[in-house]
Amino acid sequence: MKKTDPYYRKENTGHIIRDSLGGWVLLLLAFITVAGGCGNSSDPSGDSGTGVTTLTYWSAPNPQEYAMAQDLVAEWNRDNPRIQVKLQALPAGQSSEEVLLSAMVAGTTPDICSNIWPGVTNDFIRAKGLYALDRFDDFEEVMAARVPGDIIESVRSADGHIYQIPWKTNPIMVQYNVAMFEDAGIDEFPRTYSEFLEAAAKITKDRSGDGRYDQWMGFRDIRPIWWQRYYDYYTSYITASGGKTFFDKGELAIDRKASDQVFGFYQSLYNNGYFPRSSLQGNAFLYGIIATEFTGPWNIAYLENNAPASLRYDFAPVPVPDDYVGDTYSYGDHKNIVIFSTTRHPEASWEFVKFLTTKEADYRLLSFARQIPVRKNLLTDPEFEEFFRENPMLARFAEQAAYTRGVDSIRDLKEILDAVARYYEKSAVYGAIPPEQATRDMIEAIRVIREWNK
Amino acid sequence: MARFTKKINPGVILGLPYLAHLLLFFVYPVVFSFILVFHRWDIVTPMEFVGMRNIGRIFADEVFLQSIINTGVFLVLHIPLQIIVALFFAVLLNEEIRARGFFRTLYFLPVVVSGVVVTILFQQLFSYDNGLLNQFLATLGLPYVPWLVSSKWAMPSIALMATWKNVGLYIILFMAGLQSIPSQLYEAARLDGTSTWQRFYHITLPMLNPTMVTVVVLSVIGGFSLFIEPYVMTGGGPMNSTLSAVLYIYNQAFNFGHMGYAATLGLFFAAIIFTVVIIQRRFVESELYQ
Repeated sequence: MKKTDPYYRKENTGHIIRDSLGGWVLLLLAFITVAGGCGNSSDPSGDSGTGVTTLTYWSAPNPQEYAMAQDLVAEWNRDNPRIQVKLQALPAGQSSEEVLLSAMVAGTTPDICSNIWPGVTNDFIRAKGLYALDRFDDFEEVMAARVPGDIIESVRSADGHIYQIPWKTNPIMVQYNVAMFEDAGIDEFPRTYSEFLEAAAKITKDRSGDGRYDQWMGFRDIRPIWWQRYYDYYTSYITASGGKTFFDKGELAIDRKASDQVFGFYQSLYNNGYFPRSSLQGNAFLYGIIATEFTGPWNIAYLENNAPASLRYDFAPVPVPDDYVGDTYSYGDHKNIVIFSTTRHPEASWEFVKFLTTKEADYRLLSFARQIPVRKNLLTDPEFEEFFRENPMLARFAEQAAYTRGVDSIRDLKEILDAVARYYEKSAVYGAIPPEQATRDMIEAIRVIREWNK
Repeated sequence: MARFTKKINPGVILGLPYLAHLLLFFVYPVVFSFILVFHRWDIVTPMEFVGMRNIGRIFADEVFLQSIINTGVFLVLHIPLQIIVALFFAVLLNEEIRARGFFRTLYFLPVVVSGVVVTILFQQLFSYDNGLLNQFLATLGLPYVPWLVSSKWAMPSIALMATWKNVGLYIILFMAGLQSIPSQLYEAARLDGTSTWQRFYHITLPMLNPTMVTVVVLSVIGGFSLFIEPYVMTGGGPMNSTLSAVLYIYNQAFNFGHMGYAATLGLFFAAIIFTVVIIQRRFVESELYQ
């Protein structure tokens, strides 16, 4: 048959198609193999016939914490040849919760993760994604030795089980520029709202002489983004209410008076121009453009590395309402340790989790990663005493850690905080409604959200 | 295998990759969206059948209504502004001016820059107390404009930014349209003693109608999908004034985990866009081509 023959061409086409079809089949097989491989990427938990158990551990991706995790894992692997741990930084994503959710849906969760925000554990528990830690015989003993009793109870799930170990907490405090306060004639950081506003009136000023403020008491992101409210409204609400959260035994129990006071306080700050309704370029605190910032201990390491030598800074508790009496509570951004239910080696995982929560590991968490472990008597423990003497700023956070509250372990938390963000914006930032109405409307909005999502 | 493939028309086999793509990325998501309308699903836990609940909720959802109105406001501001600016520059760049190639490239540059980058830049420019725009106004002795911190100004500011970002593309489209207008028409009009404005109004504009339709349709589609600008710049504020429909749907789906309700909102919104497109086709196209 000649190549010019039309039938030949048809036959030839068929051949090409057969070839290309074969190619497609191969490609599909390759894809399935790769996809399958990806799906099992968390499964090195297998014994691989050598008698060695391999666990996968995800730590937070920030450099200090990851470096600390590398140290701990290297030590563990050296001492435990039969249980080897493979460390991975939590894969990049918009947020840790998003990454973990994707992993859970795909069934690719690791054995252990130490960067779990309690607000999301309820969803994970409902999805049967977590291993109940109280199934281990020595769980209570291990927890009782490390974690204060009330905190243990705060992480107990509605089904009575405990799925997470409170590992570290980052209490929110006020970071302030000491020189700016001294220049304004203020020697002691204000404790009450009135004192704070009085100081703000002295510090907020027009340095350039163009008739507009260019130095402010503080700054907060005013966009109605739910998680931004942790650092203003929610922290101040916990302070003003004496350590209450939004819910009590699953029922909405917002302290109206405290909420009114908080809305009113921020409204005064914005109405008087003490906080700008702007987005400030760069780090305004480092440049001396703002005098205070609501932040956590993670900022100490940042300031140590980036602040000019002339910048004097310190940390103080969040201001309280004028009539407030009692301890100063704050919001504490807890991060907990969990074992995922996809693990094939719960006992080995538990052994590693116990290693992560020993006193020695906690000391490294404090000294290396500059984060506060959730540990009883942290300040009075002789093994930590010297460290706190040498690091007085971290000592302030450790003192505050005993008086922190986290978020309620309930569904719809983000949606509820979104409602808070909307009323905060409306009342505190723009002053469109009085504080009392903001609290009333916010509670109603939360009630509707809860009703709808039942 | 050989016998099997011989019987099949090669065209069918060659079309299979496309068919697979269509089924996987279009048919499946659309069918799944319809299923989601009647369910509650947060991705993690199993779906729960809720009947008509999601549909009923739309009509009581004031925030969604507000987001649709906001999107409408954006369209009303953005489309005329975009057409006027694009047409102005297209006519200008179509003339024999110096460094024409340079200016054509310059106006097109924002189109190829990432939307997020442009939005972050404008967030700084629009900043109330220390943004460059307000500082410039102050040097002219003018008062500060609350670009992003007033519910009256925020959406117009976003429309202004979106125009700056997209106008280059429409300039190109208009220039292509302008270059297809026969020069004899202008020559004849000149001989008749017409003014520049008369030539623009009676020749350029009517002859640009097909391009105008393309520009309007593309702008409407782009306008309905307003998302990046409010997501990055304002988060939907101040007081929901820049909360676009797509941003609201996104929040419902990926922030609050209401996949079923988000799918319902998405389909409802798609129905609105579909209606607008039908109206557009009926009125704009028939008017232009008759």
